[in-house]
Amino acid sequence: MDDRTVTDQATRKRFGAKTALLGAAGCVLLLFPLVAPNAYQVHIINTAGIYILISLGLNIAMGFAGQYNLAMGPLWGVGAYTAALLNTRLGIPLWLNLPASMVAAGLVGGIVGLPSMKVRSHYLAIVTIGLGEVINIVLVNAQGLTGGPDGISRIRMPTLFGFPLDSDKRYYYVILLAVVVGFLFARRILRHRVGRSFRAIRDDYQAAKAMGVNTAYYQILAFVVSAVYAGAAGALYAHLDTYISPDIFDFNSSLFILTMTLVGGMGSLVGSIVGALALPILQEYLRVIKNWQLVGYGVAIMVVVLFVPGGTMELVRRFRSSRLAGRLWARNPASGKVRVGETDVP
Amino acid sequence: MFLEIESLTMQFGGIYALKEVSLAVEQGEIHGLIGPNGSGKTTTFNVVSGYYKPTSGSIRFEGAGITGLPAHKITAAGFARTFQNLRLFSSMTVLDNVLVGMGHHAKTGLWREILNPAAVRREESRFVGDAIHLLELFGIAGLADHPATGLSYGEQRRVEIARALATKPKILLLDEPAAGLNEVESDELRGTLKSIRDSGVTILLIEHDMKLVMGVCDVITVLDYGRKIAEGPCESVSGDPVVIEAYLGKEDEP
Repeated sequence: MDDRTVTDQATRKRFGAKTALLGAAGCVLLLFPLVAPNAYQVHIINTAGIYILISLGLNIAMGFAGQYNLAMGPLWGVGAYTAALLNTRLGIPLWLNLPASMVAAGLVGGIVGLPSMKVRSHYLAIVTIGLGEVINIVLVNAQGLTGGPDGISRIRMPTLFGFPLDSDKRYYYVILLAVVVGFLFARRILRHRVGRSFRAIRDDYQAAKAMGVNTAYYQILAFVVSAVYAGAAGALYAHLDTYISPDIFDFNSSLFILTMTLVGGMGSLVGSIVGALALPILQEYLRVIKNWQLVGYGVAIMVVVLFVPGGTMELVRRFRSSRLAGRLWARNPASGKVRVGETDVP
Repeated sequence: MFLEIESLTMQFGGIYALKEVSLAVEQGEIHGLIGPNGSGKTTTFNVVSGYYKPTSGSIRFEGAGITGLPAHKITAAGFARTFQNLRLFSSMTVLDNVLVGMGHHAKTGLWREILNPAAVRREESRFVGDAIHLLELFGIAGLADHPATGLSYGEQRRVEIARALATKPKILLLDEPAAGLNEVESDELRGTLKSIRDSGVTILLIEHDMKLVMGVCDVITVLDYGRKIAEGPCESVSGDPVVIEAYLGKEDEP
């Protein structure tokens, strides 16, 4: 058997394995609410799904385009308040207020991104923290509109053709759909020109300009796209909890989102899913330690930044190229051969 | 006139990096820009390619004023440049580096990516074909899928020039392309520069390697302390006492 046929077979095998894995994952995802022991666990997963959306947004801006948007929590709030107000004041259902929330958050996100024209990296991070605080202060103080610190309650859960999606188990499917669409959308826009322009700006801002990349446009675009994700997550969150208040969308929430994205893996969309599933679940089961959670985030960020800048996904990559993985893979002669082929060039 | 720089002045605080420099580049020539360190060569590049807004003076390209335009518009007008220190996109493969350069010819943006993915795929495969072809010309097509920063210095230099050519420029600004190259690579570069010129791209070249400069340039402009001190064909410039003084100092200085 020459190398080529081995490679082909291995590719086919890998493709088959991938399809099977995806199918299995799909079944688990679809059946999860039916097999979950109680509604509360579904609620936790629903919340995690919302965090996945926000984390995808942050990853696009920060992981791919290098634009530090630390106003994600407040931007999430813009989406949530837009949806909540449209729903409670005008009776507009989720299906219509969701796009409105995305537009509103996207607009505010574009404004938050304006300082990126003047400042970069950690300076930009600090400015966006400040602008996020401004948004939060508006939510607290514009009492006539936002209800102030009391927030907005009695947000109605949506119905689908008269069928009420009024429980966590039913609402789960709405969030699942949003996460799948959000993930595929991100993958698509990052695959070609837009993604390359983002990465070019992150890698070398000056060289990107010389290559004809309209850096100003793509920087603002990165902020807008991340905010649109936060906005969608906000609308979904408002209808999930049916009650929102400004303290949910403060700087701590931005920090929480940053932590999960870093832990999952900056620059990897799958990393966002991993991080945004892991942290809310951990948070749920670590309620006993209360404020020490913040210490945990701090430690997690430091460990990741210092030792594994690529987060969990980098650990996965390291494992795959390690000797141990090589030995495990080598049990399968076909794919073992492919690994050699892949690595024999320096 | 193809590229016309007129009494360009660039002031940083009290220091003149360029003072009243005028320079004309004809289409189809390789125009050398030389001078001792700190004489304003790279500053000239940075002003022309839109990184700095000049304090005064004007730049015209093919008859149109381009003074002070943002860098990506200058690129769109037909300029490409390389950098003195390698500035490849470090997280990308060689191929992706070149594809970034092709990006500004793309008709596809965010919306087409969502609404018409088939058109995007077609465009992408055309770009990949063009990029591979470009890499073949530089003899590095075999490295297309390698991380750009894992290459040898000479290879990275070639990627940088290929990436600049991917923007399909009318004029190429090369900032010390021979820096760090050995004798053989430097000789190869000379051939490369000539074939780029023969393909219809004008070159403005900053270089300290005098053998290379004298070997390829049609015209040379010499800068010293931000002023133009000489201009002309190689022979006349290399014998010019003012130029020799700028490089080596005065002969009878006490």
